[in-house]
Amino acid sequence: MQIMVMKTKKAQLKIQQMAFMLMAVTLFFVLVGVFVLVVKFSGLKESATALEEKNAMLLVTKLANSPEFSCGNGFGTNRVNCVDADKVMVLKESIEKYIDFWGVSNIEIRKIYPKIDSEIICDIGNYPNCNVIKMRSKEGSGTDLSNFVSLCRKESFEGEIYDKCELAKIMVSYESK
Amino acid sequence: MKNKKGLQISFAWLFAIIVGAFILFLAIFGTTKLIKTEQTIQDAKTGKDIGILLNPLETSFETGKTTSLTLPVETRIYNKCNNNGMFGRQIIQISQKSFNKWTETNINVGFSNKYLFSESYTEGKKFYIFSKPFEFPFKVADLIYITSSLKEYCFLDAPEEIEDEISALKQKNLLIENCANSEKVIRVCFGSGSDCDINVNYNMKYVEKNKGKMYFEGDALMYAAIFSDKKIYECELKRLMKRIGHLALLYKDKSGFISRIGCESNLNLLELNDLTNNFESSANLESINYVIEDIKEKNEDNVLCKLW
Repeated sequence: MQIMVMKTKKAQLKIQQMAFMLMAVTLFFVLVGVFVLVVKFSGLKESATALEEKNAMLLVTKLANSPEFSCGNGFGTNRVNCVDADKVMVLKESIEKYIDFWGVSNIEIRKIYPKIDSEIICDIGNYPNCNVIKMRSKEGSGTDLSNFVSLCRKESFEGEIYDKCELAKIMVSYESK
Repeated sequence: MKNKKGLQISFAWLFAIIVGAFILFLAIFGTTKLIKTEQTIQDAKTGKDIGILLNPLETSFETGKTTSLTLPVETRIYNKCNNNGMFGRQIIQISQKSFNKWTETNINVGFSNKYLFSESYTEGKKFYIFSKPFEFPFKVADLIYITSSLKEYCFLDAPEEIEDEISALKQKNLLIENCANSEKVIRVCFGSGSDCDINVNYNMKYVEKNKGKMYFEGDALMYAAIFSDKKIYECELKRLMKRIGHLALLYKDKSGFISRIGCESNLNLLELNDLTNNFESSANLESINYVIEDIKEKNEDNVLCKLW
C-alpha cells in the first residue's frame, strides 16, 4: 500500500514537471512571437515615416506646378516653378477644402529676396507687405522640406498694371508616424 | 487474461502529446498569419510607393512625359476610383505573385490629387507610365496613364500631331507602324481600319471600346479613354469635374482679389462651377465645352490681367 502511494506521488511529480516544462516552452514561444511583432511593427512605423518623407520630397519639387499654385500663363509666358501669390492668398482662405489633398501636414511659402528682417505672416489685410504665407495657421511639429520658386503677383503703379516676381522658398511639412 | 499493457498510454504522455500538438498548431497558425500580414504590408507599401513615384510626373508645359516602373515580382495594379467627397479619391490596390499565387488584396492606398487611367487592373513586372496635362480651360491636373509592357498599343491612321507625340514619347509599347498581329497588340484605329480593338472618332470626339462610347475633349482625355475602362474613365472624369469646379471658384475669388489694384476680368466662372456640379457623364462634355471656349477666349484677350 505504501509503495503504491509513493509511486502515485512520483507520477504526480513527473506530471507537474512536464506541465511546468510545457508551460515554460509555450511562454518562451509567446515571448519570442511578441518580440518579433514588436520589432516588425517598429520597422513598419519607420517605413511609414520614410514613405511620408519620400512623398514630401518628391512633392516639394513639383508642387509649384500644381494648378492651385502655378502661375500658368498669367505672368507672360508659361513659367516653371513659379507660384502665383495672389492665387495662393485666395487658396489660403479656403484651405479647409484641401486638407489631406496633397498628403502633407502643411505648406508654407517664405519670401527670401528682397529680404524683410522680421517674419510677417501674410493675411488679406497686410498682403503684399509680408514675407510668409502659411497655408495653415497652426504650428506644425513636422519636418520641413523646401524648394526654391519664384513668387509672382500683379502690382499697379500709377494705374499701370505690371507683374512682380520675387525669390521664395516653398516648404512642405510632413508628420513623423 | 489478455495483456493490455501495449495499449496503455500514461497520462503524462497524453498530456504532452495534446499540449505539444497545440503548441505546434499555434506555431504554424502564427507563422501563416505572419506571412499573410507581411504580404499585405508589402502590397500596401508598394501601392503607396507607386503613388508617391507618380509625383515627379507633374508637368508644367503642355507636353507628355513618360517613365517606366519595374517591380521585382509579377504584380497586378488594381485601379479603383471613388468620386465621393470634395475631390474623390484615386485608390490603388496591389496584388503580387507569391508561391505562384496572387496575394489577396484588400488594402486601399488612396490619393486625392492623382488621376490614374488604366484597365481595372494592369498586370506585369514592367509598367509604362505616361502623363499629360489636362486643361479645361485652365490646367486641371496631370492625367496618368498606366500600361503594362505585356501589352502593345498600335495607333493606326492617327492624326499627324498624335503620331508626332507618340514618336516623341519613345514609349516602347506605343507603336505607330510595324504592328505585329499578335494577341499582345491592341489595335487603336482612327480611320476605318479593320480588326480594331479600339475605335477613335477624332472629329466627333468619342472612343468606342468594348461596345461602350466614351466622349472626350482634348488629347489628354482621348488617351484616357483609350487606355482605361469605361467605368474608370467616367469616374475619373467626375473627379476631374469636381476639381474644375473648385478651381473655377478659386479663380473667381482671385479675380475679386486682384480687382483691388484695378485688374478686372469678367469670366463666366460661376456658370462653369454650376455645370461641373451637374456633370453626369462624358456625354455632357460637349455642352460644357461651349462655356469653356468662351472663358478661354476672354482670359486670353485680357492680356494684362490673365487669371491663369
